[in-house]
Amino acid sequence: MSDPNGIGNESNPNDPYEINILEPGAVSFSRSQGGVFQGVVEGKAYEEMILFRIFPFQYTTKYISVRDAKGDEIGVIRDIDQLDEESRAEMDKELQLRYFLPLVTRIDAVKQKSDLWIWDLQTNLGPTRIVMRNLHEHMQYPSVNRIILTDINGKRCEIHDWQALDGHSRNQLKDVI
Amino acid sequence: MFVIDKLPETIGNQLTEKWLFHSVSDLMNDGQFGEQWLVLTEKEVSVWSTDGVQVSKLAISDITDARAVGGVGGGSLLADTKGGPVVLIRYTASLTSIFGFASKLIGAVAKGEERPTASEKEFPRNCPNCRNPLPDGSQACPVCKSNGKVLFRMLSYAKPYRIQMVAAAIMLIFTTLVELIPPILTKMILDDVLAPKDMGSTLLWIVIGLAATSLVVTLMQTVRGIIGVWIGSKLMGDLRHDVYHSLMRLSLSFFDRRQTSQFIGRVNNDSEAMRQFMTDGVIWVAGESLRVVAIFIIMFSFDWKLTLLAMLPIPLMILVSSVLWPMIGRRWYQQWRSIFRLNALVGDSLQGIRVVKAFGQETTEMSRYTAANKELVRYNIRIEGLWQGMFPVFALVAGAGSLLIWYYGGKTVLNGGISIGTLIALITYLGMLLGPLQWVSQMINWATHAISAADRVFEIMDTPSDVPETANPAHIGRVRGEVEFHQVTYGYEKHHPVLKNVNLKVAAGEMIGLVGHSGAGKSTFINLICRFYDTDEGFITIDGTDICQISQLDLRKQIGVVLQETFLFDGTIAENIAYSKPEATEEEIMRAAKIANAHDFIVRLPDGYDTRVGERGHKLSGGEKQRVSIARAIIHDPRILILDEATASVDTETERQIQEAISRLVKGRTTFAIAHRLSTLRNADRLVVLERGKIVEVGTHEELLSTEGAYFKLVEAQKEMSKIKGVENA
Repeated sequence: MSDPNGIGNESNPNDPYEINILEPGAVSFSRSQGGVFQGVVEGKAYEEMILFRIFPFQYTTKYISVRDAKGDEIGVIRDIDQLDEESRAEMDKELQLRYFLPLVTRIDAVKQKSDLWIWDLQTNLGPTRIVMRNLHEHMQYPSVNRIILTDINGKRCEIHDWQALDGHSRNQLKDVI
Repeated sequence: MFVIDKLPETIGNQLTEKWLFHSVSDLMNDGQFGEQWLVLTEKEVSVWSTDGVQVSKLAISDITDARAVGGVGGGSLLADTKGGPVVLIRYTASLTSIFGFASKLIGAVAKGEERPTASEKEFPRNCPNCRNPLPDGSQACPVCKSNGKVLFRMLSYAKPYRIQMVAAAIMLIFTTLVELIPPILTKMILDDVLAPKDMGSTLLWIVIGLAATSLVVTLMQTVRGIIGVWIGSKLMGDLRHDVYHSLMRLSLSFFDRRQTSQFIGRVNNDSEAMRQFMTDGVIWVAGESLRVVAIFIIMFSFDWKLTLLAMLPIPLMILVSSVLWPMIGRRWYQQWRSIFRLNALVGDSLQGIRVVKAFGQETTEMSRYTAANKELVRYNIRIEGLWQGMFPVFALVAGAGSLLIWYYGGKTVLNGGISIGTLIALITYLGMLLGPLQWVSQMINWATHAISAADRVFEIMDTPSDVPETANPAHIGRVRGEVEFHQVTYGYEKHHPVLKNVNLKVAAGEMIGLVGHSGAGKSTFINLICRFYDTDEGFITIDGTDICQISQLDLRKQIGVVLQETFLFDGTIAENIAYSKPEATEEEIMRAAKIANAHDFIVRLPDGYDTRVGERGHKLSGGEKQRVSIARAIIHDPRILILDEATASVDTETERQIQEAISRLVKGRTTFAIAHRLSTLRNADRLVVLERGKIVEVGTHEELLSTEGAYFKLVEAQKEMSKIKGVENA
């Protein structure tokens, strides 16, 4: 065999080392009375489930690892768009809540006060402020025009494409990136 | 003291009983930013909006437990009820610790257990004035504090050299004043000699005067220069010393989160920038300001109207400078960051050069470097260009002043208002004035550069160690070696615990084998005993004393480590063995090496115990290094011994030798050993099986095998593996 580990082969569900890709028909998700994400996967009901983005920077709605409350993987969903409407909506909402990453829509100001950098931002989730001790450890560039800002306390915001922001925001950014 | 936001009265007034705890979150339940209040009383947990409307409530009697579930960048507080889990409140990562505490408190109240007390580190530390986060371990808000502090702090480094500084300053004042004499002499030549065409002895005396001034100026400058270099080098040395000391003092977790190569540049470049400012910069500013003042006084005494005219462009220059000041600072930082990225990249790929070569990725690395290099070039041009472009503009603006003097001054001379000599002297002084004013921009440059460098340097110095030294250390002397874990929880990222609620009592002299899958928390367990990190919750005692109460020096004296990665310092083998006991005699070193099964191979080396090892020295094999590090632990003679995968990467024969050495080493010492090969732990008195940060089994090898639990599974899995290995070897 040219592929002894079977990496290129179709999945074998009995192999514990196989990624269990969940078929859209075999899953359904909803939200409990208490507001907790839950669902039924391959005929088994879970009263609490945790979602992980497998490639959080590259894909926000694809490759989602579905896990039980203990964190054990139940399976992976290729693309949440394939799911039924309610499942898709709940999953989207849960991902938004679990991956708290507001999208910056406008940069009001970037100020440097003594040794702190203070960003006043407008995001899709409302206005917020990000405070950094320095720029070089708190700004990440996952791709050319994309910037992830991290607060001293770990709060994060994303600038999806800084070139696409308005002129004022770009001006604020010009000397700090 | 910590700041807790006060519960709004609109909510407080509606509560029927005294509340135990309250806290404000920064998210609404739908994930939008907004404030909500969580209030806990003996009977219920409720969530309120800021204007006093109750959003939800849950009776304590319905709650079985509560948890803080961490997401990425935020989290939510969940209450487990008989009807399934319920989301109480959501929050961003800044508030993780306070709601983590809230979850424990709610859980304890619900279950009727002992209630946890909040410690200072669980509350968000914000400045009460501006709501910006406070630096750890300090109550001084960096935003509210004045900007001049950095400057003053930087200048405080010059204090020890104040006598020399004063000498330099006096010379500077004197030189400046002397430099102002020539134009007056020129004026005298023009007015008293050339205009009246009166060639007396005056001309000769004036020329001698000119010669004397330039001689004095040269002499003064030389002496001042030498003093400057002397002070500068001393200052540099002091700064580097302090930065390096601060680095050594910091805890491991500081370095875990950062690339270490950046510090090499930081220690050198940043202290150089500060030095430049303090010696050249400060002296220069002082000298030039003095000169400007003196020139103005002289010019005013000649003709105040003309002087005022000449000063017209000055406000404009100050305006331009103040606009450019912040911009230049940012661009310097921008350039610094690209140098920083470039250095990190080089450090990274050179440290991993084996991997790079093994995967044939030299071209990828080169193109990564090219990209970073291009970026640096771009930023370099941006900052240097801005700064070169500023010169001519300043010169032009300043030049406008002299044009005005030529025109109006010329007219006044024709009217007989002033003499030709005075006009020429005015023009000369104005020229001398423009120098310093043009250089205001250079000064801005220096100052901003130095202040941002100082910021970074002081940042390192001010970072408190995560494992602070206790003020009144308990004297423990030589310990027996009882180690006890009391409900220890720890995570490298605070809210992703790697060890959870670990309880373990180890008797003096006992050997404990730590077993578990990788990532189960074995190494963390050991790091906590060494106090490389401090526990998030719970505590560890040695002979009944909390290790936080023991001075770190004392603690490390009691603990010896043989780590998975053996690191030998640049130096001889003998020096490396005697690392923790530099006064060890040659015989002690040999004895330690003998016990470690290292003596024979060391003697066989051409340079024996004097063989240089470490980065620039002789290459020892993995097993040899391992045995040297065992010898290092032996000579240290610790009461508590830590062996982290000491035989991870060696062949069977070497493993046997190391095993033998170790079994001699562990005698009579409390030992914690980690090994993947379970067979190497057969001498252990007890085995502790860790799974996902929790202790799942404790017992001897036989006991654990008979219960057929987690350990049994691990052993079975390893048997499978050795079968496969056996086939491979056959």
